[in-house]
Amino acid sequence: MITLYDYELSGNCYKVRLALNILKVPFTARPMDFHPAREHKSDWFLKLNPLGQLPVIDDDGLVLREAQAILVYLASRYDSSGHWYPRHDAAALGRISQWLGFAQELTATAGAARLHDTLFLDVDIGKCRAGAHTLLRILDEHLWFAEQAGEKWLCGADRPSIADLACFPYVMLSEEGGISRLPYPAIRRWGDRVKRLPGFIPMPGIFPAAAA
Amino acid sequence: MNRWFAVSACGEVPHGQVAQSQLLGQELVLWRSAAGALNAWENRCPHRGVRLTLGACVGEELRCQYHAWRFASGSGQCTHIPSHPHQKPAGTIRPQVFPVFEDGTFAWVNLTREAVSPQRPAAGIDTALRSIFARAPVAAVRQVLLRGYADQSVGLVDEFTLDATEYALRFMLQPVTEGQTIIHARLQGEVTAAKRMTVLRHHNVLMSAVRDHAEAAA
Repeated sequence: MITLYDYELSGNCYKVRLALNILKVPFTARPMDFHPAREHKSDWFLKLNPLGQLPVIDDDGLVLREAQAILVYLASRYDSSGHWYPRHDAAALGRISQWLGFAQELTATAGAARLHDTLFLDVDIGKCRAGAHTLLRILDEHLWFAEQAGEKWLCGADRPSIADLACFPYVMLSEEGGISRLPYPAIRRWGDRVKRLPGFIPMPGIFPAAAA
Repeated sequence: MNRWFAVSACGEVPHGQVAQSQLLGQELVLWRSAAGALNAWENRCPHRGVRLTLGACVGEELRCQYHAWRFASGSGQCTHIPSHPHQKPAGTIRPQVFPVFEDGTFAWVNLTREAVSPQRPAAGIDTALRSIFARAPVAAVRQVLLRGYADQSVGLVDEFTLDATEYALRFMLQPVTEGQTIIHARLQGEVTAAKRMTVLRHHNVLMSAVRDHAEAAA
């Protein structure tokens, strides 16, 4: 049984919960007191993850940190359909990895702006918001042209990949960091498609969409 | 202001889709019912003021995310209040509804409540380009476009036509707020399937450059 060291309000923990639900993998959540107790910086947790960051999973002794790495592992290990992380398609893996890196950039900008506004993280808020808008503009353009080509997802026509799950949370939470998504209509449509995936679960600040 | 503004390509608000927009500072929820009727309402639930864009389209109704009040496509009339399931909601409970008009390619909104839809000919074979959001006022965007779009001179006013290469190009500027503009554009006439993506990408680059210049000047 997988143990997820989890914080309910974290977008990076949420994407792991989302993947576990979609892949129908049973798990136990170990809630962490991220704020105000900073349990992720406690001595016992630093032994698990010396970076002091969430999420972490422990799958029968295999301990992994970094949300994107966890998504790669979960899809490779538990997705029998193979489309979430198509291990034998080099081009697809390259494209997916590109968006996994993009997801990290989203965490560092949109995610940081949100922590600034909600949990008082000390960052250059103007820089975070501007950086997030740069990323969202790129994402919206990519998704608009994907739609024009008949593709519904970040990397591919018919089936989503872990790239979609990795990018989704901090895009959808951007407004909690003062980043409006009004300029990005293609992102809205993609977000609604993610929300309609079988096994989708919401989190505080991310609401379900009605069935299409 | 009794004037019609293009706010979105029709195809960008498919059936069942909720979209966010803003016109002259007025926040809008644009949504299309399952049957295909387009609505433009004030983006504010009349119950507790939450943005209706957080909500979802359920058939012919828009459901607020906060307390699941439902509002009918067309009239905006509240149809259901879950905490009072057996009571018919009062006829006064509705968000402000604005007139909408679709010309076959673009959706237009008028903030004057009693505005009459213009009888423009349907332009079904036009191609909508990717709309571009600019952090610049309409005047700055217009100035850049007038200076030259793809090094060609263009006509005056917010809606104008340009003979760019082989297709007539028409711009429609949406004043979002005082400092924000959405640049909509359509190619008049049909673009062949083989050329379509190339043409769309070509204009996306040019219109993005217009945005960048307008933002730098603003």
